[in-house]
Amino acid sequence: MELKIFGKGFNFSQDGPGNRLVYHLKGCNMRCPWCSNPEGMRVNEGEFSTLSVEEVINEALISIPMFFENGGVTFTGGEATLQLEPLLLLVKELSKKGISVAIETNGTSPKLPELFPFLKHLIIDLKHPNSTTHKAVTGVANEVIKQNILSAAENGLDLLVRIPLINGFNASKDNLKEFVEFLKSVNRNNLKVEILKYHEYGKDKWQKCGLEYTMKDAFVTEQQRLDFETEIKNAGITVVRT
Amino acid sequence: MYNLFSAEKVTKKAKALFKEERAKMRVDGWFLAREIVAGKQEELKGLSKEMRAAKELEAIVTELPLTISDNAVFAGSQSDAFARSYALINPTFKVETFSGYCDPTAVYNDIEPNEEFTVERINKVREFSKNTAYVKALTEVYANYENYTEEVAFFIEQVTGHIIPDFRPALKYGVSKIMETLDKNIAETDDEYKKDNFKSIKLALNCAVVLANRYADIAAEKAKAAEGERKAELTHLEKTLRKVPFSPAESLFEAIQSYMLLWEVMCLEQAPNPFAFSVGNADRVFEPYRAMDNMSREDAASLLKHFLVFFNVGDRSWAISQNLLVSGRDVEGNDLTNLTSYALMDAYFDMNLPQPILSVKLHKNSPDQLYSELGRFFFSPGVLTPSLFNDDSVFELLRARNVAESDLADYSVAGCQEPLIMGKDNGNTTNSWLNCPKILELCLNGGYSMITGKEIEKQETPDALTLLKNIREIFYSTLERYVDKMCDAANGASKAVSELPVPFLSGFMGGVESGYDMRDTQNQGTPYNGSGCLIHGLSVMADSFVAIDKLLAERPEDAENLISALKANFEGYEELHQFLKSAPKFGNNIPVADNEAAEIAEKVSDIVSSHKNYLGNPFRADWASPTTHLTYGYWVGATPDGRVAREQLNYGVDPLYGEAGGGMGFRMLSNMRLPFHKMGGGYASHLGIDPKYFTAETLEGKGLDFSKRVIKPLFFNEAMGDRVAPFYLYVNVTTPETLRKVLADPKKYAPSGVYIMRIHGTFVNFLDLSPEIQQDIIKRLDPASTTM
Repeated sequence: MELKIFGKGFNFSQDGPGNRLVYHLKGCNMRCPWCSNPEGMRVNEGEFSTLSVEEVINEALISIPMFFENGGVTFTGGEATLQLEPLLLLVKELSKKGISVAIETNGTSPKLPELFPFLKHLIIDLKHPNSTTHKAVTGVANEVIKQNILSAAENGLDLLVRIPLINGFNASKDNLKEFVEFLKSVNRNNLKVEILKYHEYGKDKWQKCGLEYTMKDAFVTEQQRLDFETEIKNAGITVVRT
Repeated sequence: MYNLFSAEKVTKKAKALFKEERAKMRVDGWFLAREIVAGKQEELKGLSKEMRAAKELEAIVTELPLTISDNAVFAGSQSDAFARSYALINPTFKVETFSGYCDPTAVYNDIEPNEEFTVERINKVREFSKNTAYVKALTEVYANYENYTEEVAFFIEQVTGHIIPDFRPALKYGVSKIMETLDKNIAETDDEYKKDNFKSIKLALNCAVVLANRYADIAAEKAKAAEGERKAELTHLEKTLRKVPFSPAESLFEAIQSYMLLWEVMCLEQAPNPFAFSVGNADRVFEPYRAMDNMSREDAASLLKHFLVFFNVGDRSWAISQNLLVSGRDVEGNDLTNLTSYALMDAYFDMNLPQPILSVKLHKNSPDQLYSELGRFFFSPGVLTPSLFNDDSVFELLRARNVAESDLADYSVAGCQEPLIMGKDNGNTTNSWLNCPKILELCLNGGYSMITGKEIEKQETPDALTLLKNIREIFYSTLERYVDKMCDAANGASKAVSELPVPFLSGFMGGVESGYDMRDTQNQGTPYNGSGCLIHGLSVMADSFVAIDKLLAERPEDAENLISALKANFEGYEELHQFLKSAPKFGNNIPVADNEAAEIAEKVSDIVSSHKNYLGNPFRADWASPTTHLTYGYWVGATPDGRVAREQLNYGVDPLYGEAGGGMGFRMLSNMRLPFHKMGGGYASHLGIDPKYFTAETLEGKGLDFSKRVIKPLFFNEAMGDRVAPFYLYVNVTTPETLRKVLADPKKYAPSGVYIMRIHGTFVNFLDLSPEIQQDIIKRLDPASTTM
């Protein structure tokens, strides 16, 4: 069984705790216009390589010396759960070998909870609290995402919900209120929230992929971010910056 | 003394003194020194070469013109010992014409004739030099091995400098005490040879006293004409000079003054080639004296700034590769960082000078304060960055070299990264240089150069398929043969340089006890002795073997084509070239390539260290390539890994630039597989790191993050278990774009004219470098190999 990946490498603390070997799995079911890895969107287009499950496990094993500060392996994308079958196998095997596994996901897979027993860390994006707007902009509704967040928190996973704060999309006071309302319904014992400011690090890549970058006036101020963080903290939820 | 000045004033003077030094476009003192020596020869006939050397030194310190600058707080200078000739910072340096330092009289080309120094005058001294026993012997060695050195299958050189003298006894007890010991030894020994040596050493040591008194006279003279504060300062200086180095130092001021004069004499003794002498742990040398008058960190730093300026010579800081260490541990594992360590770091940061090089010794219990205070060096653009040593590993390495437990903490760094014991170890560190990829080229081409077609050393070659199938065996046996020759040549160079005894330096290198000159090739004058071999091309070799294996596995019918492709530098063989380039490369955490590199490092180190030097001590395997990855690569044809002809070799133990695109984590993992315990002579490794990965708000925070994410995983990784972990690293924290901007608009990005970068073991003013070296620095930042 094989994984299609479009990138791999180590990253410190941004894709789960510590230093982590990160695999970017090819293909995504969303079409977020701000995506910073557009080259990972389409499953069979652009450059990618394939790795067998065994190869990934071997690579992880010889990389253990670099998993410092409680690091491990993270699968991200694209959207990692689109390759659920090999992913599930990998997550099981790696956790059996004592390697900490994290998944970074858009949370849209109804089968995501199948991975929970083998995961240490789960990072889910919640891009908009309102399902209609969520679907209009990303192409996918958010009900399953919310359900997965609730379920992951109930299962005691170390859960990080990330909100990419984007002007004109989800950064208004009303949006904030709706976010907080939902987050309050999540089991807070293991929940952390991070507000990511909109950036354009991936802009050039859109052009390289032959795609048009349509985002305009999307930057948010530091104050907007602080307002979000403060309000969420005030609701008794842990806010972090990685 | 400290009542005379505030730290602020002393600092101001240090900066003015440096500016004054950088404005010196001529450094002619070394020539005067050689001229004085030439003029003494008649008088010295019939003396032993050791006594002659002592008397020559005496003549130099007696006759050389001396001055004390108005900005100087201390007396002393290195400017009379160095020529403006070191290749790296010589604007005329070119990779294609550089041929090593094999002509000891070439230095006379580096002095520009003028009215005072006429061509005739220069030629007279050059002729004297040419006829010395030393130059004659060395010339003969080079002539005998020219066929091998011309295209650098190997290279050899006579080693001058590259020693860490132990001046601590002279500071503590005064030179007078050492001279007393020598008197006793002279009286007690019946061995006439030793007796003469003791006398030579004593005479040479007295040169420091002669020099001190001459400076004292100048200070007294200047004091007469001075007024107020300056008068008091000069009077104090005179008093100090009448005291040290003859008598014990009793304050930081006296210790620094004493040290500077000893250093000056040591360099004059070897003018014009005293490169890469090192201070050792300057913090441990000076801390007892700082503590004597309980001087504050700020005040100590201001005096130490003058000490640092002392190491800079002329317009480009020509006294290159002088190393100074701070911090580290003792043999029990206790941290030895002290207040002088931090004062020295303050002095370095504030002055940001091209010399001397700063190195920091680390260990698994180094304090967080040290890491946080290092942050400012790594994360301030254009500021020097220290190189880093891992004491925990170096101690193991030295134990394997049979260094006594009591000497371990005293290891220091001669030149770039070679660990030697202060005051006890003559390592001849740069004695021999081995070019593995060139030898592979010769194996693949019957002993003929693929660059020039010249026969280097003919060898029987089977058909291409058999050759490739047996390439490892053929390579290692050929290498043995070349290393035999290289070591013969290197020992020849050491014998040549023994024609120039160094009685003064020997006095701080065990000569007072042994009675032998440290360069003596018959009797071992220093407690430890060895000869260095700098081994080149590790990853090019590993990648080449792996590519050959891939070819044999997948398309053995192309064996003959591979040889033809290499000879044609891949022209007309583009597809095959791509195939070879696609083979796994070292530095990407791919076991087949990494294990190959580990095996090569182990085997080649063993071959080198099984060879003996002139005293029967092993050659030390040193996997470093101080810019020679460029100059030696220029003489290597295309290699089976896909590297094209004349392209640079990999640097030290690093992957070839551009071949490790998987980022820092993978690169470190590959690196950790290497057998560092075999690298007894040291090794070199560099990381070019983009500062964007460190987002802490303060420089201190960034320093701590740097220790967590770079230093500790590499040096103190528990996964290494009982294996010797990596023990050396230098970094440049910048990006290629930043450096291109600095070059395009130096006035904007380096208004002071100084933008310090690291290149192998030394740091340099980036703006002083020759263009080819500037481009090498930019290329080897290799950002794809260090993404985090």
